[in-house]
Amino acid sequence: MDQVVTTLLTTMSEQLGAMIAVLGAGIAAGFAGSGSAIGIAIADEAASGIMTEDPGKFGLALLLLALPGTQGIYGLLAAFFAILKVGLLGGAAVKVTIWQGIGIFGSLMPIAIACYYSAVAQGKASAGAILLISKRPEEIGKAVILPAMVETYAVLALLLSIILMNSIKL
Amino acid sequence: MAQAERYGYTVARLRAMGHRLLDSGVFQRMLDAEDLQGALKTLNETCYASWLVEMKNEGAFDEAIEAELSYVYREIEQFAPDKAMVTLCKMPYDFHNVKVLLKSVFLQKSGGNRRWDLLTRLGNLSPEFLIESLESEDYRLLPFGLRGMIPNCLAQWDQSHDILEIERRLDDLLFSQMGVLAAELEQKGVTEWVRGRIDAENIRNLLRLRRMQVEASKAAGFLHEGGIISVDKLLSLMGEPLESWGRLLAYTDLTGALSQLQDVSDFDTLIVEVEKALDEYVLRVVEAARFSSSAPENVLYYLWSKEMEAKNVRIILVGKANGADRDVLRGLLRHVNG
Repeated sequence: MDQVVTTLLTTMSEQLGAMIAVLGAGIAAGFAGSGSAIGIAIADEAASGIMTEDPGKFGLALLLLALPGTQGIYGLLAAFFAILKVGLLGGAAVKVTIWQGIGIFGSLMPIAIACYYSAVAQGKASAGAILLISKRPEEIGKAVILPAMVETYAVLALLLSIILMNSIKL
Repeated sequence: MAQAERYGYTVARLRAMGHRLLDSGVFQRMLDAEDLQGALKTLNETCYASWLVEMKNEGAFDEAIEAELSYVYREIEQFAPDKAMVTLCKMPYDFHNVKVLLKSVFLQKSGGNRRWDLLTRLGNLSPEFLIESLESEDYRLLPFGLRGMIPNCLAQWDQSHDILEIERRLDDLLFSQMGVLAAELEQKGVTEWVRGRIDAENIRNLLRLRRMQVEASKAAGFLHEGGIISVDKLLSLMGEPLESWGRLLAYTDLTGALSQLQDVSDFDTLIVEVEKALDEYVLRVVEAARFSSSAPENVLYYLWSKEMEAKNVRIILVGKANGADRDVLRGLLRHVNG
């Protein structure tokens, strides 16, 4: 019995680092994806509202609807980087210590948190921009730029997450 | 559910519906028309067209205006998350109908005719339901405090034959019920709008009382509680010259509307100008909501704009039917902005 427990604990300690990294990847993709879904839903409400009156605005609204979706892609990208780094997507086996796992987990937090909040905020900004094009469709250029400014902070978070992840030597 | 999610669709749809509101160009073309027929022809190019087709004769344009307003109320009621907001806007029509019915009853008692043609279908309660309640003297199902108020008004008439007092009581009830409904909605902007409407009505009443040279002590009964400006403050204006009202109320947003009092010489023109400014003041109370994609007050903003549009159409058509001067009519038009 003691031997079984010892084997179990040894296996766990060997794999715990990688699993913490995987947890981080899951949180990053999950939070960023959820933020995008909420953001798109907020913009969707506004788009449905103007399309009830003017279905011809679909093309313009679609462009603005897509904007909060990018955060979900960033989250997924960061999660792929993390699981690639710990060798779970093929290639040579990589040994990840608990501290390295915690490091990778921490490096994924900027993308998880910033993408969640920026996607929701971008959804609201897109909804506002959709109202703008309902009255002035010719201002679509400006209408896209306004919510796109929220995107900056999701991009910065992605950048930081990648830099932090690369700084962890395995 | 978060407010942004509840009102996202509604605000966007209202913004898109703003395109249907008649702009100053249409009003100008109606004003420029030679006669009523020409003005109706221009109106026929707008959202009123479907109702104008059903018009029995040229003079029945009021029915078309009512039909369009009724359609818009019904449409918004279908998608507004808080139906009570539409109820709030329709409530004055219920009280108008009650006044018409009561006056008809009083007229009948003195050998006159009933004026049910003055009833409107814009209220929350159908005219048939109100008539049935009054004829069967069964007021149990009447909402908005009318259950107790109608017998009260009938008793008052039997005692004093004072129609002004009955109207005063009904107006008092209307504004208190609007306040109650707004409070139930728990939206600050909606409460402010109702308070703004009460202020506008109080100023309007105050000017009329001033013209009738009513004493301040007797004027108190005609002012309604619940506005931003207290009744005491309003009563104190009765003793002040009209030109100073704007200065005395400088701490409120009403100063813009009251600036009209500075440079108008005769009372009739003054009342018309102030009424117009007060209508625009009520719109301004909720104007800030236009910059939000989720503010519930957008419903009030749109409905009040629609009311102003209907008022403008009515002013032009009545004016054209009576051969009124184009510039006089232009001066009476309210600002409409979708």
